[in-house]
Amino acid sequence: MTKSKIMIVDDDPDLRQALRLRLRANKYDTVNAGDGYSAIAMAYKERPDLIILDLGLPAGDGFVVLERLQKDDRLSAIPVIVLTASDAQSSERRALQAGASAFFQKPADNAELLEVIRATLPKVAKETALPS
Amino acid sequence: MKGQSTQVLLIEDNPGDADLVRLRLVEGKSAVDVNCVHRLSDGLASLRERSPAVILLDLNLPDSQGAETFRKVLEQAPDVPVVILSGQDDEALAIKALHQGVQDYLVKGSISSSSLDRAMRYAVERQALLRSLEMSRKQQLEFKNQFLSHVSHELRTPLTAIHQYVNILLDGLAGEVQADQRDHLKTILRSVNQLGAMVRDLLEASRAESGKILLAPRCVAAADLIHAAVAMMQATAREKGVGLEVGVDTSLPLMHADPDRVLEILINLIENAVKFTPAGGAVTIQGCAAAADTDFAYFSVTDTGCGIAAAAKALIFDRLYQDPNAVDSSRKGLGLGLFIAKELVSLHGGRIWFASEPGEGTTFSFTLPLYSLDKLLFPVITRDGRLRDGVVLVKVVLRPNSNAPRGRWKDISQRCLETLQRCVYLDKDLVLPPMAAAGLEETLLVVASTDLECAGIMTARIREQLGKVQGMSGAGEVEVSVSAVPLPESGTDQPLEAQVHNIAGAIGEMVRAEVGEAQRLSASAKA
Repeated sequence: MTKSKIMIVDDDPDLRQALRLRLRANKYDTVNAGDGYSAIAMAYKERPDLIILDLGLPAGDGFVVLERLQKDDRLSAIPVIVLTASDAQSSERRALQAGASAFFQKPADNAELLEVIRATLPKVAKETALPS
Repeated sequence: MKGQSTQVLLIEDNPGDADLVRLRLVEGKSAVDVNCVHRLSDGLASLRERSPAVILLDLNLPDSQGAETFRKVLEQAPDVPVVILSGQDDEALAIKALHQGVQDYLVKGSISSSSLDRAMRYAVERQALLRSLEMSRKQQLEFKNQFLSHVSHELRTPLTAIHQYVNILLDGLAGEVQADQRDHLKTILRSVNQLGAMVRDLLEASRAESGKILLAPRCVAAADLIHAAVAMMQATAREKGVGLEVGVDTSLPLMHADPDRVLEILINLIENAVKFTPAGGAVTIQGCAAAADTDFAYFSVTDTGCGIAAAAKALIFDRLYQDPNAVDSSRKGLGLGLFIAKELVSLHGGRIWFASEPGEGTTFSFTLPLYSLDKLLFPVITRDGRLRDGVVLVKVVLRPNSNAPRGRWKDISQRCLETLQRCVYLDKDLVLPPMAAAGLEETLLVVASTDLECAGIMTARIREQLGKVQGMSGAGEVEVSVSAVPLPESGTDQPLEAQVHNIAGAIGEMVRAEVGEAQRLSASAKA
């Protein structure tokens, strides 16, 4: 049985760690990146099933990452959930237009975030990840 | 040196006066270039083409008299200094003119070349000063809002860390937690949530102040929103020992309002009411038709708290206002809730007010516009005082594929709505405001003044255009169907309003039949 692999992109190590704990407790595998550049590199290397992306990042912000992911056929199918401290009014629409599947403002409600992750994960991976 | 001369627009109908002014201007120290017109309409036309440095204005012109004259000039050219040259020494009129933005008021008989020259130069200077003050006020406001937006972003990051780790502890992800430890953690969580709400309010208030709140009105049932707001506030109220009671008139028609914003208004008012109500008290939330105005829904939030002191009454909706005598001083909040509620209500075109006696509680009331099909339909399905020949209802269903992510789908359906609005004729078709949808499927309805035969062209166009909407292909399906709306027999002697009302009733029935089942619309929808 393979678990779904989720990539967490956030420049704040505390928040990465918190999200990692939360996702692992819910039976997901996680990988991390702390800036835009590593996020792209990591996406190629790890091919995650889903990406949780902050917008305010060093070395290429979240919008740059979204754009790069969309441009590459090997990565464009990976769903991206944006989780950011940015103002929803100014960034939500822009993020969704740039290809994000969902938008959450920090601090997000964990139950809601997990539900959207479950709904957003590609079908096949979801079935194997949640045998219960 | 024409390039450096002062451009003057002289609006004066009396040729003798005009010559005199011209003479005084030529005698003055500054080089001037005078463009003289005799009628106000010519003056306004000239202002539309270019702005002079200063306007010299006579008030009694062939096509305009008195205060009306300067009002029109100021409206056309708010940034150009205006000096009135009047035949009468009317102090009251002069003061009125200055209050409305005129720079100076000179009496023709007493003008010398030097006084006219000086009056013009000072007028230009004062106007420039005024403009730069206005500019820096705007810059300051902009700066303040940017600052607030930045601060709330920076505050959210550490807030998120606290929120996340407290939840990790509470959920037992880091090991067993004892009962009393759990209580302490819950206290932290409650405080963090309050902090988060304050950060949100700060941003919202600065947005309201700079006019950056955009409404997305839909057809919504007041009862649904009241119940949703009460459900969200239940925990807070219970904790304080305050009961929440709801009374909704189930026959209340649908409203035309932004559901997220209405929720925000209700939550702000309920939160405020709970805050000022002692344990054992109750907060009552009501919704019904407005007695005074049938176009509005009426809401009220009543508490059994301490009431509002007379001195506080005038200030209660002000930004940052806090009642200094409020009983519960432990958690005051920022004083933004009522300000935000007031701004959101007035953005909807509603009214908000309160009634209160010290010691006897307070009732906050507000109104929001009802969804009136009659009013929306009238200009669309009538022409030259009679009904149009045919009316059809076009139904467009946007159905997402099972794996369409909801965020992206929400955005796609919004784009479809915008595209649909461009597919119709504004004067004879009407895209009905979308219904507040429970699920992801969206039903959009268009009332079109045409017959079934011609509607085919329209539906083909809609299908084609919606298919091209960015992100639509692969994400979902579009289904378009048409049905005829029954019209009264021709030759009826009913007044037009009554005919429109009947058709609106028929369309309302059709709408309810189409979407009522799926979206649990109450039978209360008003035609």
